[in-house]
Amino acid sequence: MKQVPLYSAVAAVVLLSTMTTANAQEDSSLDIGRLALAGYGDVTYISQPNMKDEEGNDIQNNVVARFVPIFLFQLSEKIHIEAELEFSTNSEGETETELEYANMHYFFNDNTIITAGKFLLPFGQFGANLHPSWINKAASNPGLYGGHGGNGSLGGITSIMGDTGINIANTWTLGDAGRIFTDFYTVSGPRQEAGDHGGGVEMEAKKGDNNDSMAFGGRVAYAFLPEWEIGVSYYSGDYSDDGDLNYSAYNIDFNWVGSYASVRGEIFGSTAETEGETEAEVEGEHGEEWVKDFDKNGWYIQGTWQARQLGKAWLNPIELVVRYSDIESDFDGSIGHDFEEDAGKMGSRIYYGINYWLEPSAVLKLGAESTSIDNEGAGHGGIVDDRVFLQLAFGF
Amino acid sequence: MKLVKLLLPLITLTISAFSVPAQHLSDASLVAKGAKVYGENCARCHNARPAEEYSKKEWSVVIPHMRAKAHMTGKESLAVEAFLASTLTADVRNTPSHESADAPKRTGAELVTQFGCQGCHQLKGEGGTLGPVLDDVISDKGEAFVLQKLIDPKFNNAASAMPKYPMTKEDIAAIIEFLKQ
Repeated sequence: MKQVPLYSAVAAVVLLSTMTTANAQEDSSLDIGRLALAGYGDVTYISQPNMKDEEGNDIQNNVVARFVPIFLFQLSEKIHIEAELEFSTNSEGETETELEYANMHYFFNDNTIITAGKFLLPFGQFGANLHPSWINKAASNPGLYGGHGGNGSLGGITSIMGDTGINIANTWTLGDAGRIFTDFYTVSGPRQEAGDHGGGVEMEAKKGDNNDSMAFGGRVAYAFLPEWEIGVSYYSGDYSDDGDLNYSAYNIDFNWVGSYASVRGEIFGSTAETEGETEAEVEGEHGEEWVKDFDKNGWYIQGTWQARQLGKAWLNPIELVVRYSDIESDFDGSIGHDFEEDAGKMGSRIYYGINYWLEPSAVLKLGAESTSIDNEGAGHGGIVDDRVFLQLAFGF
Repeated sequence: MKLVKLLLPLITLTISAFSVPAQHLSDASLVAKGAKVYGENCARCHNARPAEEYSKKEWSVVIPHMRAKAHMTGKESLAVEAFLASTLTADVRNTPSHESADAPKRTGAELVTQFGCQGCHQLKGEGGTLGPVLDDVISDKGEAFVLQKLIDPKFNNAASAMPKYPMTKEDIAAIIEFLKQ
């Protein structure tokens, strides 16, 4: 069953291959290369004087660094191969290595790209395009997204970032400025987290699939170039080992870019079916089994402004950033919960930053971030979580 | 599962409807179109990057990567590649070119078109918004500023995405005269 969509996709590719062969680079007289190295990196100092670990010990300020090369290879005018590796040091001083993506693009025709392999899922814009540190205007991630700094007491609620499968991307041109972008994909999908706490959906594609069901999803966006883009994404997949529990999520993203300012944001919601058992009335017997929805919702909005609008030469490299994130995660209100991680958490986070651009793709960021947890009893509740970031980020 | 099976034939039909012949590089407007596409698409996610950050051959490998990221069409990505290539000499660092003295002299209007200036700048109501409007740039900023900007686009802003064009002194003078009008 799980292979049906994949076979269908492959069949579609073969069918499509018999139709058109229009290729924009036909008869090109440009200098054609084979290999290129791109990527990004950063070094970040994080001051977090009030943070403590689970045992109540102080968490030290730390410096972390990342180097993320992207290897690009042009096999032919129709086939392009890319892979991104992330080398990073963590707060313990250890080196971590991760394959972010490795895939092949097949430029089927002028409007269509078929991608196979491990790729960043087109779910919202941050995970697919905006997360590299020299592109992300802030030194931390929006509250929705865990990982890569700024987690603390407000852990991310989505990690729909990368997975392995096939994607078909299309571009539709509507006049001079209008575009419709579509992506439809099928991938291995989420897994069930080890452990017995509810809502345990593991999204990272570090292991193979755990059930007989693939996830599918897509994004449809309308862009009015060069200023506007609004997209709607959907994702659904069975995540339990026996395939009877579903995880689904949606994302609405928008992006406005002006000559001196930008505003972008995302609205996210997810539902994970979670099963459990009520306490038995008689000792030794089973209670009543239940399946409840475990919901996670959140949004963020980020604004930037470039001081070069003021016309003073010394202000040209300066950019101001502000971002507000809000998340909540809870069961559907019908049951209590007694586990800390991810459960019943409501919080918000605000980030203020000032960026100094050294080059179009190199920036020095100074940012301050404050997180508040609104409900007592959730993990890290009551602990002040204020941080200061100093980050040098570069793209190459 | 059913949704995927339903969508694939639809996608197939859609794709076949959008199969169009490629535009040839000899199209005179390709560079100007590439400048426009560059101005409209790069800044959707990040600062536009100056052409001199990669060589022509490297751009030819990087652009397909960006085509997928930005959902550009094949024709659009080829135009961007042509635009970037047009701003690069054989020297990766793009030191000023020394054009042959007997090369045909071009007018300021022709040069503005050739270098795709309106991909990023508005002029007489037409053009992109990545850079400032050029109509009154001479009176507002002064001739010396524009001269220096054309010689070294980063002289007043290290983060400027404006390419360092392979222009001769005659080209620069012609463009300034054109912008005065």
